[in-house]
Amino acid sequence: MEISPTIFIVPTGIGCEVGGFAGDALPTAKLLASASGCLITHPNVMNGGTLSEKDNNIFYVEGYSLDRFAKGEIALKWVKHQKVGIIFDSAIESEILVRHLQVADACVSTLGINVHSYVVTKKPLNVIIDSDSSKISGGTIENPDTLIDAGKRLIDKGVTAIAIVAKFPDDSDSSETNIYREGKGVDPISGVEAVISHLISKFLKVPCAHAPALNPIALNKNLDPRAAAEEIGYTFLPSVLIGLSNAPNIVDLPTKHELFSLHPDQIESIVVPNGALGGEAVLASIEKGLNIISVKNKNTLKVTNEFYNYPNLFEVNNYLEAAGIILAIKKGINLKSIKRPLKKIQKISNND
Amino acid sequence: MKLSSVDFYLDWPVSIKLKNLREFITVNLEKKGDVIRWSIVDIQNSIDSFGTKKLRIKGVLAN
Repeated sequence: MEISPTIFIVPTGIGCEVGGFAGDALPTAKLLASASGCLITHPNVMNGGTLSEKDNNIFYVEGYSLDRFAKGEIALKWVKHQKVGIIFDSAIESEILVRHLQVADACVSTLGINVHSYVVTKKPLNVIIDSDSSKISGGTIENPDTLIDAGKRLIDKGVTAIAIVAKFPDDSDSSETNIYREGKGVDPISGVEAVISHLISKFLKVPCAHAPALNPIALNKNLDPRAAAEEIGYTFLPSVLIGLSNAPNIVDLPTKHELFSLHPDQIESIVVPNGALGGEAVLASIEKGLNIISVKNKNTLKVTNEFYNYPNLFEVNNYLEAAGIILAIKKGINLKSIKRPLKKIQKISNND
Repeated sequence: MKLSSVDFYLDWPVSIKLKNLREFITVNLEKKGDVIRWSIVDIQNSIDSFGTKKLRIKGVLAN
């Protein structure tokens, strides 16, 4: 089958109009996967709280590993299923923990996912959200070692992919949370979520994704549809378990013996929001001369091609146009042939 | 291991080509710690007559 492997990124915590909420870029990912035949994207795109979907054309790769893939450090190996383990932050209250365990059981009984076991961290992770998260979500955790230790315990028991559930401060009444729920702001916790999953990817090199544990929040009648997927259940764990259930294995490069399904040299394009060209995957793609499809998708950043003048960049108005460009790349159609006016071909003089 | 957030400005001289920009930034970040997460969050054009640009970098490091 003809494919044009494409990376699709919607950076976490910069308030993207498409993809800045609760899995609201998932339909876009399905569109781009259909156009490319092979899309590599990250949990932030695919996870809609209780809702998610599998797509055989999509590789679900955590952000840190996705950057490594773009840099050419790893390849991806398709698997039929992962043996998923869950790390629970010891700060999670017992009732919320039970809710999460019931979700895991439901994913086994109803979806057939191989959720193997869980551990509770020896110490609380102690999430710290940056106070200046109004434009770019950020923060850290106080006890990263206890997180990594919990992951090692799961891997020692044969787990091949890790879901992490961390307790987040109860800020349901904060202005940031309410603005986000009404579709106007930045997801205030997504920056710390990225740090948590990056730590597992960096130090344990297995597929992983994060779901926050939050107390139930009061009904908001002004809820934006893009945030609604996070309001229809007690936990955000289902989408994480669905995504991880057949997330690809990470294969360190170079490798002599291990098989892989997708090598980074096969990537042809990367799709990113306009203004968000400052990430590692984009810069690595520029190093390789790949096509960058920069999509108008309102966000808080202004890192545009004005500062780079990178020639292989296509700026488009929406993801429907992006899908068209990917299709043209996949079929080897000269994009200039589609646009008007059409210039005559150039003569190269003997002196050139 | 301790994590810390960093938010700093870095001059991008014209001698550093675009295709070398990622390496230029990571070398600077690695002087401060083990890199967990980073990105350029802002750029200012030509802050001097040499065409130097100013990058604002945000990230999380481990020490």
